[in-house]
Amino acid sequence: MSARADWVVLGIGNPERRDDGAGAAAAEAIEAAALPGVRVLRGPGDPAWLLDAWSGARAAYVVDAVEGGEAPGRVIRWDAGAGALPAAFGRGSTHALGLAEAVELARALGRLPERLVVYGVVGAAFGHGRGMSAAVSRGAAEAAAAIRAEIGALRAPAGETSHA
Amino acid sequence: MARSRTKTIKVDALARVEGEGAMTLRIRDGRVAGVELRIYEPPRFFEAFLQGRDWTEAPDITARICGICPVAYQMSAVHAMEDLAGVRLPEPIRALRRLLYCGEWIESHVLHIYLLHAPDFLGYPDAIRLAKDHPAEVERGLQLKKAGNEIVELVGGRAVHPVNVRLGGFYRIPARAEFARLAERLRWARDAAAETVRWTAKLPMPDFEQDYTFVALRHPDEYPFNEGRIVSSAGLDIAASEFDDHFEERHVEHSNALHCALKTGGHYMVGPLARWALNFDRLPERVRAAAGEVGVARAVRNPFQSIVVRALEVLFACEEALGILDGFEPPDAPFVPMEPRAGVGHGATEAPRGLLYHRYETDAEGTITKSVIVPPTSQNQPRIEEDLAAFAAPRLDLDDTTLRDQCEQAIRNYDPCISCATHFLKLTVDRG
Repeated sequence: MSARADWVVLGIGNPERRDDGAGAAAAEAIEAAALPGVRVLRGPGDPAWLLDAWSGARAAYVVDAVEGGEAPGRVIRWDAGAGALPAAFGRGSTHALGLAEAVELARALGRLPERLVVYGVVGAAFGHGRGMSAAVSRGAAEAAAAIRAEIGALRAPAGETSHA
Repeated sequence: MARSRTKTIKVDALARVEGEGAMTLRIRDGRVAGVELRIYEPPRFFEAFLQGRDWTEAPDITARICGICPVAYQMSAVHAMEDLAGVRLPEPIRALRRLLYCGEWIESHVLHIYLLHAPDFLGYPDAIRLAKDHPAEVERGLQLKKAGNEIVELVGGRAVHPVNVRLGGFYRIPARAEFARLAERLRWARDAAAETVRWTAKLPMPDFEQDYTFVALRHPDEYPFNEGRIVSSAGLDIAASEFDDHFEERHVEHSNALHCALKTGGHYMVGPLARWALNFDRLPERVRAAAGEVGVARAVRNPFQSIVVRALEVLFACEEALGILDGFEPPDAPFVPMEPRAGVGHGATEAPRGLLYHRYETDAEGTITKSVIVPPTSQNQPRIEEDLAAFAAPRLDLDDTTLRDQCEQAIRNYDPCISCATHFLKLTVDRG
């Protein structure tokens, strides 16, 4: 992970655990759009990986599947700059530390990017195997579209100025 | 008349262990009446799932059992299949397998030392609070773990669930220039590992010792990763193929994971303390000297000191990786071709948490007809329960919160990989 970009999109989770593939699917959709200045990575979401992945970026967007009482496929947006992530972003059964802990670790170390937005896609099935439910696939696509819109909105004025 | 005084301490969802599980400590009349380590993640039917699959698929399928130690599963699987086929690997491929394992030991041990176990010793509830007061140390841990990731990424093809391992070797051998960049990173990592040894050795250690039976691999010349005989501190010395003759897995009512025990009776410990005690003379001088500087003995019987031994194993892994990279000559071909045959193959390797045994039976076409996977946490589970009973006994007057916290720290001595063992954590103190 050497090249840096202004914007990074991080899809986390394990596509081999059904709906946990939502983050990777959203990242894949953004990668397919080949947006200039946007770096897309997929990974486990462990703290060392995340802190390194968003190091130097102006803004980072993270997509992850979450468990919770909401309907499967629902997309939740969270501005990590505003405070701690909700428990739904906590550790999963196969991750030693969850996204919520990784974000707070970064905050404690002063390693949060200027802007860190987390999109959670509510999942229902996290068993072994590939393939997300239809609702979660739609949620991943919705999260990808929302991130593209956010990057577009940030980039438009920035492109017209001299980055003063 | 004696007054009945009963209490149960329960950890419902043990934090900072890999996976999910629960521990109940039952206290009756001021004495420990029982300890049960329960595993509630559904059993993982990997052994059954492998039946009917091609023998070439075993390393990639079993790598999915654990997100923290996939290399260990791959290594035990490929060595079992190579044992079955009677294939011997050329030295450069054997060396690359050791290099890959170095990466996984660094990743796994450093994660456990800095983010999971160290907060216990310093009185913090988690790594986040530790990071606020000790940012430099936590940063060092993160960077050191990253060095391990980089080894796995280069040799294994990617940092998580590596894909470059195949029967007989690898799909691709990295280029010399890639090895040169890695060596530069590892020289920094070796210094950071030495700092980690000094840092962990200063942590306040609970006063607690047990008389363990240690079990680990032992190689004629090397600190063990992929090869060697299975030996114990009680005199056992067997080939991996004799595992079933000396060990048995038993179902226990309170857990989804099988408990493993010696057939001669008695539980045992696998993992860093076992490897350390049984292979101290196989360590490089630099690692033995580092242990001597911080007063770590050849046989460590205080399980809390496992955090220091893990740090010493990280130093070893950095040293070993650099040694492998120094003058590495790539193999002529990335793998040795293998032909399927009907038979039985055994593979025992040293996962970060200890001995990991695989056995496969295949037919003449290479279809897997039977598989047995015995992960380290299954082997350590009964020993964890015994540690907890002995550790808690003189501490029963502590309030429940303090007792629970200390018991959790004792469980983490084993860095239990609950996901693997179910094929698992929560702590309950039941005082009745």
